[in-house]
Amino acid sequence: MPEITDKPVTIADYKGDVHPDWCPGCGDFGVLSVLQRALAEMGIPANEVMIVSGIGCSSNLPGFINTYGLHTLHGRSLPIAQGFKLANHAMNVVACGGDGDGYGIGVGHFIHAMRRNIDMTYVVMNNSIYGLTTGQTSPTSGLNMKTKSTPFGNPEMPLNPIALALSAGCSFVARGFSGNPKQLVEIYKAAVKHKGFAYIDTFSPCVTFNKVNTAQFYRDNTYEIEGENHDKTSKAAALERALETDRIGTGIFYVQERSQYEEFEKEVLEKPLVQHELGLSKDLQHKLIEQFV
Amino acid sequence: MSEKKNVIVRIAGAAGDGIASTGELFGKTCSRMGLHVMAYNAYQSAIRGGHVWLQLNVGEEKTRCHGEQPDVALLLNKTSPEVHIPDMKSGGIVFYDISKIKEDLSVIRDDLQYYGLDFKELCDFPGVSPVMVNVLLAGALIQTVGLDTGVSLEFFKEKFTKKGDEIVEVNQKVFNAGVAWAKANTKSGLSLKGDGKKRMFMTGNDAIGMGLLAGGLKSYAAYPMSPATGILHYLSTQAKKAKIIVKQTEDELAAANFAIGAGHAGVRAATATSGGGYCLMVEAVGLAGMLEIPVVLINVQRGGPSTGLPTKQEQADIKLVMGGNGDFPRIVIAPKDVEDAFFQSARALNLAEKYQCPVIILSDLFLSEHYQTVDPFDFSKISIERGKFMKELPAGAARYKRYEVTEDGISPRLMPGAAGHMYCSGSDEHDENGELISDILAGLPRAIDVRMKMHPKRMRKEETMLKENDINLPEIVGPKDAKLTLLGWGSTFDYIEEACETLRADGLSVNHLHFTDLYPMDREKLVEVFNSCNEIVAVENNMSNQMSKLILAETGFELKRFINRFDGEPFTGEYIVNAVKEKELAHA
Repeated sequence: MPEITDKPVTIADYKGDVHPDWCPGCGDFGVLSVLQRALAEMGIPANEVMIVSGIGCSSNLPGFINTYGLHTLHGRSLPIAQGFKLANHAMNVVACGGDGDGYGIGVGHFIHAMRRNIDMTYVVMNNSIYGLTTGQTSPTSGLNMKTKSTPFGNPEMPLNPIALALSAGCSFVARGFSGNPKQLVEIYKAAVKHKGFAYIDTFSPCVTFNKVNTAQFYRDNTYEIEGENHDKTSKAAALERALETDRIGTGIFYVQERSQYEEFEKEVLEKPLVQHELGLSKDLQHKLIEQFV
Repeated sequence: MSEKKNVIVRIAGAAGDGIASTGELFGKTCSRMGLHVMAYNAYQSAIRGGHVWLQLNVGEEKTRCHGEQPDVALLLNKTSPEVHIPDMKSGGIVFYDISKIKEDLSVIRDDLQYYGLDFKELCDFPGVSPVMVNVLLAGALIQTVGLDTGVSLEFFKEKFTKKGDEIVEVNQKVFNAGVAWAKANTKSGLSLKGDGKKRMFMTGNDAIGMGLLAGGLKSYAAYPMSPATGILHYLSTQAKKAKIIVKQTEDELAAANFAIGAGHAGVRAATATSGGGYCLMVEAVGLAGMLEIPVVLINVQRGGPSTGLPTKQEQADIKLVMGGNGDFPRIVIAPKDVEDAFFQSARALNLAEKYQCPVIILSDLFLSEHYQTVDPFDFSKISIERGKFMKELPAGAARYKRYEVTEDGISPRLMPGAAGHMYCSGSDEHDENGELISDILAGLPRAIDVRMKMHPKRMRKEETMLKENDINLPEIVGPKDAKLTLLGWGSTFDYIEEACETLRADGLSVNHLHFTDLYPMDREKLVEVFNSCNEIVAVENNMSNQMSKLILAETGFELKRFINRFDGEPFTGEYIVNAVKEKELAHA
């Protein structure tokens, strides 16, 4: 039996033993501390959280937080997280990774996870660059941006992940900035609380390889959409803000109350799969055989 | 024709002509009478219009082979005569639909009995539709083969009862018209007596699905791919009853990783695909090896490479399932027949949990898609063993180490969720706690030390598998001192057995060495087995002798004589017998 304590959950419970090896000043430090704060403030015991990541600088996050963690393959955090969640839906599942991981190699899973709507949270630490491989263009690098792999400028249009999420049927679409922890912590709390797939694109500047999308850039160009009476139940309003080109909105763009995937599996998921007895009843064995006789 | 112990039947027509439903009616009539059936389905990658046929070998004793030359054929479309009449046994019987086949068939061959049935004339009653011509011909067929037509009439009742009494009755009437016509117009002399024991009539995919359920499967993810899709179909229909999650994912990458996520959570999980899909899964298999997550992956092989022969047979994915970057422990099992597919699927789930590693089942199109009669499975032979899996730790237990170094290479496995023992599993090289040593520690003495402990710890599991006798040696069937040994693996078991029986009846000294557990291999014991044989000939349903090469790599024993088939068809006993004789492989 787990030890039963009535100690309130504190942010200390979420502090990992391993010190992050991110570059000093990396935006991911902010994301980590906001995530720890959000989970602690919600009173979720750290052992009831599973964080699944892909590969990349930001995907090292599960190693630096005191929850259950899985650090997996480049681009594959979402299928693993979804398989895990349906196997043990008593756990709070958070997937995380970078823009290369989620919008490049893993973009197929991203789209389908959104329309599938399993109850989990997905944090993309978006720095518009490939950091761990030392500075190549990413799916969110700006047009004409010079990187190691595009020394003459990026010839491709950047992806608009918020617009993509809205069109893919995501039931919770948000964007935050690691340099605005006050807003970000509230977004993360709402995301974890949301019943369904909650996605947060989080600007997390790379201090080493991206000299364009710096913390100062985001301070100068972002604004909080809730300050402008944004209607987060309107997909059209959300899309309009997602398509703005002169400024970048942060906040919760869109929330849709709809059945989460688990409701379609109500009979099977009456209790978490991990708590099911294994093996078949004699009656079911008999029925399985009879079907073929 | 004199009375005989088995009858080979072929049913041919266009896709959509009801070949499968005719086969089911015929097969279930046989299986319920206690006869044995082995069927093979030839089809194409087309939903309508392609030419398809089903061959069923029915016997009073277990039939090992779908056979070569049919005794009786049902021909339902225009393409059928030129394709199938040349294959018939001399004196054989051909029933055909005269609305589709109008030419004089005796021009093709004059040593067969031809019976054209006129649906319009014979079934001139209300409620019929010309698409039921297959039912009319089935009546003639079942009567001619000497089966109990009452069993067929009962089958219609069950099959169509949901559609209403009228549908049942009209099917029975059409069927009876065929029976009556055959009684009045044909003489076959055929008769088959069943032993009265009702058997199942099912495919290998059905057996794999049922075996997974029996073995405690809780989560199944797959992307459709022939010939593995039957497992997805079967499990989807059973999901609610068996209380399991079945998820069709966006691709095979997702399918394998979804199963791995479920396996890590603490449930039994599996996925299935064919070779092309398995290519996409290779990265995930390595992940399961590195993170020590139990998962079962089923590769139902088909003709390759690339898209290859999507609806045809080959056993050519050994190199693939032995692949992946770096070294990690795994188990590869190739079931030998439908019944074995059931038990091996349940066993694979046990082995995956015991060794916390990927277990791969290598089936193939033939094994997975052919119908066969099987005695009802004995579920009591299956026990669920979870190895070092724990849902919680006792209060006051020392800080849990997910990847604790142990002598047998297997670490205690704690289900994520327990309080106070959180850990992170990393796909980078990691220490006993799961902490990565790959980034800032890489190359430092501590990291080298960790690598040198953890990598051998994982690989040690393969030694443990052999030490604990969890890997079965190949079985030898037939006289131990035979002059010639036919070596096979996986689904070719029955064909090689049939060939051995025929060769022995011809006075040759032959036995059969058959692998179902392909990997890991026990070098010393295997060399001993090979040395106990005289001359060994490998029988492989591929071109490049992949199993023989694995044996060479793993044991140093070189096979030098081979029988191969890679035209897209499974072996038959006759094919192997002819190859042995043509190549003068055996000496009397």
